[in-house]
Amino acid sequence: MNFEEFQNSARLYVIGALEPEELQDFEAARKQYGSAGEDFINQCYGLHEAFALSLKPAKASDAIKNKLMAMVRERQDQSGAARP
Amino acid sequence: MDANDRSNVNLGMSSAVDPNLQTAATSDLESHHAKPAIPPVALEPGAPTDVDLMLQIQTGDADALSQLYDRYHGIVKALILRIIHNDTEADDLLQEVFMEIWNQAKNFSAQKGKPLGWMVTLTRRRAIDALRKKQAYARAEERLQAAPEQQPVAWVENVTEKEIEAGDTRVLMTKMINSLPEAQQQVIELAFFQGMSQREIAFHTNIPLGTVKTRLELGLKKMHDGLKELKDEL
Repeated sequence: MNFEEFQNSARLYVIGALEPEELQDFEAARKQYGSAGEDFINQCYGLHEAFALSLKPAKASDAIKNKLMAMVRERQDQSGAARP
Repeated sequence: MDANDRSNVNLGMSSAVDPNLQTAATSDLESHHAKPAIPPVALEPGAPTDVDLMLQIQTGDADALSQLYDRYHGIVKALILRIIHNDTEADDLLQEVFMEIWNQAKNFSAQKGKPLGWMVTLTRRRAIDALRKKQAYARAEERLQAAPEQQPVAWVENVTEKEIEAGDTRVLMTKMINSLPEAQQQVIELAFFQGMSQREIAFHTNIPLGTVKTRLELGLKKMHDGLKELKDEL
């Protein structure tokens, strides 16, 4: 797999679209390209943010946040420590 | 899950997240992303950055989680809704996602990437897993079959001139996605928001597997190149 092919596969990899047989080849190439390959894969994760940020934010009820924070504080109380 | 099993996922037979997706998502929670091209949300002067909030959450600061929720719950819920198409389930999952952010905050590393990317990856993984577990996949497929030509349009909502003038992040991303041919938007939509493999997309759309792969590769490359250009310009 040359680097251009690796780049194409990396973009598919980060969205989970590689087929199993492609994944094996990709992992082999990933080892071959080392840090340059890892850097490129990390770049590709920027696609995740882009897709999410293309969406119009949706409203959630205040009850969701209240419930979440109650759960968090309850867990804090149970653990008796500040750390999650 | 082997290749044959994966082809069956399209029929709503699997309740597990596919290993490819899980591998990418799991490694992403520990390793990390590229820097976003532009700040995802505008912060008031003196407001803590996303990284500040994550570091505070790591120390057990519940107020920091509250602020992070206020800042990003809209984006997180929109992503969940885009995947599972059910408002009640989306609210439940929204709460679960932020609880997981709280529980998994220790795995976040500021040196390896941005909080939003970490949250998006986590959210997407949870939402796709929920989608498959609840077999909502089959229902989504029915909707897609009923109106396949509407899918790309539904993904990218129309924006007003005012929004374009404002030049906010969503508009920039939307314009970038809109610049892709609809055929490429469609396969990316199915892969990213529905968690489909290339084979599943081919089965679902009756498009040859090779064509699906080409469209995905071309579309993602254009998006990736577009993000790099944005980053260079700003």
